[in-house]
Amino acid sequence: MFKRLRVKAEPAKTNSDFGEISISQLIGDVSLPVTIKALNSLPENPKLRLYRALIPIQVLAEFDINPRTWKNPDKLPQVRLDAEHGSDKVKITAWYGADPQNEFFYLELADNQYNGIDLNFLIANNPLSEKYRTDYDDEGKETLFGTVRRNLVEEQRAMQAGLAPGQIREGLRCSNIVFNHIETFLTMMAHHAFFLEPLTYVSAWIFEKRGFAYSKGHQLMDTIHKEFQPGGELHKALDGSTPFRQPDQWQTVRGRAWAIHDGILQVLDRKWDDLKMIKQVGRQAGVNTFPDAKY
Amino acid sequence: MPQRFQITRAAELESLSVFRQFISDCCASHNVPHDTVFDLKLAVDEACTNVIEHGYKGMDPGSIILSFRITPDRILVQITDFGHIFEPAEAPKPDVEAALEDRELGGLGLYLIYQTMDNIDYQSSEDGNTLTFTKYIK
Repeated sequence: MFKRLRVKAEPAKTNSDFGEISISQLIGDVSLPVTIKALNSLPENPKLRLYRALIPIQVLAEFDINPRTWKNPDKLPQVRLDAEHGSDKVKITAWYGADPQNEFFYLELADNQYNGIDLNFLIANNPLSEKYRTDYDDEGKETLFGTVRRNLVEEQRAMQAGLAPGQIREGLRCSNIVFNHIETFLTMMAHHAFFLEPLTYVSAWIFEKRGFAYSKGHQLMDTIHKEFQPGGELHKALDGSTPFRQPDQWQTVRGRAWAIHDGILQVLDRKWDDLKMIKQVGRQAGVNTFPDAKY
Repeated sequence: MPQRFQITRAAELESLSVFRQFISDCCASHNVPHDTVFDLKLAVDEACTNVIEHGYKGMDPGSIILSFRITPDRILVQITDFGHIFEPAEAPKPDVEAALEDRELGGLGLYLIYQTMDNIDYQSSEDGNTLTFTKYIK
C-alpha cells in the first residue's frame, strides 16, 4: 500500500522543567527549547549578555546608544531590561533623552502555555516625530491603543498625518531587522516558531510581509479584502458617515485599517479580534491577502 | 538542485481549486507524467479537505501552506497547517469492501492518499502540523 508511514517519529521536545536553567540543560540536548522563565533565572550578567541580542544595533545607533553598555554619550542609561527571576516574560525598553517615559522601542516576549514563545508587544517609533495623544482620551484615561476608549480628535489628526491605528508617532520602519533578531535569538534557544496577535489590519499586513502565516483569521483577512472591492459590503459602508469611513479608503492598507478600527466590520457581523499569527523560524509563509497593496 | 515552490491560502474550500492549479503549473514545467499529476492532485485535495473540515473546526480558519519540491526522480509535497492536531493512526479505517449503500459518507481521504502516494510522514506540534508525502516519478 505505502512504503513507509511515519507518524510523530520525533515527538515535539518540551522542557519539562519550567524552573531554573542548569548547566546540565545547557550542555545537554541542544534541540531542547529553553524557556524565558529559565533564562530569567540566570544571574544578571549572563542574562544581560543573552537578551542584549534582542535589540538591533542599528536601532540603538540611530539614537547614539552604545549597544554594549546601553548608555548614551553622556553615560546616561537609555535601555532597560525587565526579566525578573521567576517571571515568564522579558521586556526591553529603550527611550530617547532623559525621560524614560519617552519610549521609542518596546519589546515583550513571553512563554506561552504550549511551551512556545509569544511576542506580546513590539513598538518601534521615531521619538523625534510629532506625538499624537491617541493613547489617552480627553479625560486623560488610557485608550489601550484605541481598543477600550478613543480620542477621536487625535485619531483624526494621526490619520491625516499618515499614521496607522494604534500608533502615537510615525514608525521607525525596522520591523524586518527586529524580526531577524528575534528569530536568531529564538534559534539559539531552540524554538521553532513564535506567535502573536495582530492589533490592527496594518499590523497583520506587515506581519504577512515578514513571513507570518495565520493560525486563526486567514479567512477573515480574505473576506475583508473581498468586501472592500467595489460592490462589496465594506466598500458600500465607506459612506463618509465618519472621518474614518471615507469612500477612497478601500484602496490602501491604512485606509482599510482606520475603517476597521472605526468598527466597519459590524456590517459583516464581525469584529477585529481573535486573529493569531505564527512565524516559523527560517520560513516565509508567503501569505498575501491584499495583492498589489498600497500602504 | 531540487526546485521548490510554495503557495499559502486560507483553509477554505475555495482554495482547493487554487492548489490544484498550482500543482498543474509546477508539474507542467517539469514534464511530470499525467497520471502522477492526477495522483498528486487527488492526494493534496483529500489532505487539504481534511484540514479545512476538521483541522480548523470551530475557529476562523488559518492558513494552509502547500510546498512542492521536484527532483529528477521524485516529488515531495508538504502541507502545513496550524489547526487542531490530527492523528492519522487514529482515523477510522474505511470499509472499502462494503456495499455502496452501506458505506458511510466520507472517510476515504486518508485511504486515497495511502493508495496514491509512496512515503507518508506526519509531524505535529503546537508550531504546526505538517503532512509530507513523496511520489516517485516512474
